[in-house]
Amino acid sequence: MARDEAALEAAHGLVRQLIAEKLKYLVPMTILFMASYIGLTVLAGFARDLVGTRMIGSVNLGFFLIAMNYLLSWILAIAYGFVAAGKFDVLAASAATQASRAEAKR
Amino acid sequence: MSPTLGIFVVILLITLAITYWAAKRTSTTADFYAADSRLTPAQNGFALAGDWCSAAAFLGFTGLTALYGMDGAFYALGPLVAFCTVLFLIAEPMRNTGKYTLGDIIRSRMQTRASLLAAIAGTVVVNFAYLMPQMAGAGVLVRLLTGISYDWAVVFVGVSMIVYVAFGGMLATTWVQIVKAVLMLSAGAIIMAMILAQVHFDPLALFADAEQKYSAKYLLPGNYLKNPFDQISLGLGYTLGLAGLPHVMTRFYTVPDAKAARRSVVWVMFLAGSFFAGTTLFGLAAADFVGRDAIRAADKGGNLALPLLAQYLGGGKGTLGGDLMLGFVAAVAVATILAVVSALTLSTSGAIAHDFYVNWVKHGEVEGTREVWIARVTAVVIGVLAIVLGILAQGVNVAVLVILAICVAASANFPVLILSLFWRRFNTGGVVGGMAVGLVSSVALAMIGPAMRGADALWPLVNPTIVSLPLGFLGAVLGTLIWGRDMKNEERFDAFLLQVHTGITSK
Repeated sequence: MARDEAALEAAHGLVRQLIAEKLKYLVPMTILFMASYIGLTVLAGFARDLVGTRMIGSVNLGFFLIAMNYLLSWILAIAYGFVAAGKFDVLAASAATQASRAEAKR
Repeated sequence: MSPTLGIFVVILLITLAITYWAAKRTSTTADFYAADSRLTPAQNGFALAGDWCSAAAFLGFTGLTALYGMDGAFYALGPLVAFCTVLFLIAEPMRNTGKYTLGDIIRSRMQTRASLLAAIAGTVVVNFAYLMPQMAGAGVLVRLLTGISYDWAVVFVGVSMIVYVAFGGMLATTWVQIVKAVLMLSAGAIIMAMILAQVHFDPLALFADAEQKYSAKYLLPGNYLKNPFDQISLGLGYTLGLAGLPHVMTRFYTVPDAKAARRSVVWVMFLAGSFFAGTTLFGLAAADFVGRDAIRAADKGGNLALPLLAQYLGGGKGTLGGDLMLGFVAAVAVATILAVVSALTLSTSGAIAHDFYVNWVKHGEVEGTREVWIARVTAVVIGVLAIVLGILAQGVNVAVLVILAICVAASANFPVLILSLFWRRFNTGGVVGGMAVGLVSSVALAMIGPAMRGADALWPLVNPTIVSLPLGFLGAVLGTLIWGRDMKNEERFDAFLLQVHTGITSK
């Protein structure tokens, strides 16, 4: 029994490490997209003249920022895919291995 | 036969053939609710796009942009950004933890009957609030497009969705969504190519024409959402509400694992996101080419802007090209509604048959084949109820329900879901508290707001999310504290976290 517990404890430890790793990436990424998007709605609500500043031809700052938000969402999606595959999946896989070892010896 | 009807009959026959094929492959509960979790990320990504783009997205975003300029573009952007929340926080934990429903997650975390009941309430309220306006919208749309009466249009849509769901379950629903997504994206691509050809491949000309025709104010925010807080509330509702919409979230159960769930979100973000971005240009083009007066004359809400634009691009009214394009877009719009109402019916039947009957009433002691049978019957009952409600909703202002659906999802389901996944001390009291406060505050504020009472509103915001969402979280936290420590639940949390992050269940 003692050895299963050790494997299980190792699995939980790896999960804690995984959560810490996720927080390291996801907190800034979440702040980034929330600030860009909610920030844009705040500007649209309270700084309508600023949003109307002309940027390229008749396209104003508001439409430009909307376009940037589309781009940001897509970039973040791709970035998340890479981070998850490179960092999270490795830790999740070792946690899963430890956990199934604990189960097997039960 | 008009081109609309002709094209639509073809789509209908294809979906019925799919249902026949799917029905033969649907025998277990896993088949019925989750297509046996065997879809690929790309398939699920297309199905998610078909699921998430309601008629409000397909027709409404273009119409809003055409009539009100930038506010329409805000409506279109939010639904894409919302998938960032889903991708980062929800999709993978959802796949790892649950089986068929949102209720599954709450149940495996809390293991109490009260929390399961609260989760069921959240699903059923959100789904019906979403389903009713879709049915009413279907009635209006099908009548406008084909000329059959409102009541018959609702019955027709209702019967089709019952057939898809009751016979073909998740597999048929998924393929109806995929077919719809492919049609919608093709329609979008064709329209986009034709618009670009019109303006000699200079999309900026669309903005310049609109400015010249309707003044610079048209391109500013605030033409539709007058109250600044409504802009923010809409944004919050979208970014956090999607994660609380059961009919979209249950799509993650149809793929084999968390990695596939993740990839399907990336797919939908590019598929649906490019369509949403397209609607802003479609709206400007409709305002430029068709004209706002003509759009308003056809439908006050602007919902016919896209069909009219397609008709114009095809060669105009009365030409073969114009009729074909109009028919194509109109038929896709109906297919769009069918795909969405089917998903809502399936997800509601999961909450009633799987969560309520099997797990709550029968404590999980129901044999597999019997559970499938119950789920099918439930789908029929829900479909009939949706038809009745849809017919009763004729002429009633259903706009408030659309707001309610997303608002309750953001204010009740989202806090409960996110705290269940990430907070050790969160307990049954928190689930009930968050669900109750989020639900009641959303409903109450929407009812006394301008969407329901017009000029007599007792409360200024159309969309109450900016207030009800913090209240929902507050209810969840207070409920947790009042309930007191649930030590067994807290001890189980390590095992639960292991499951959330790896998909492995341990004792």
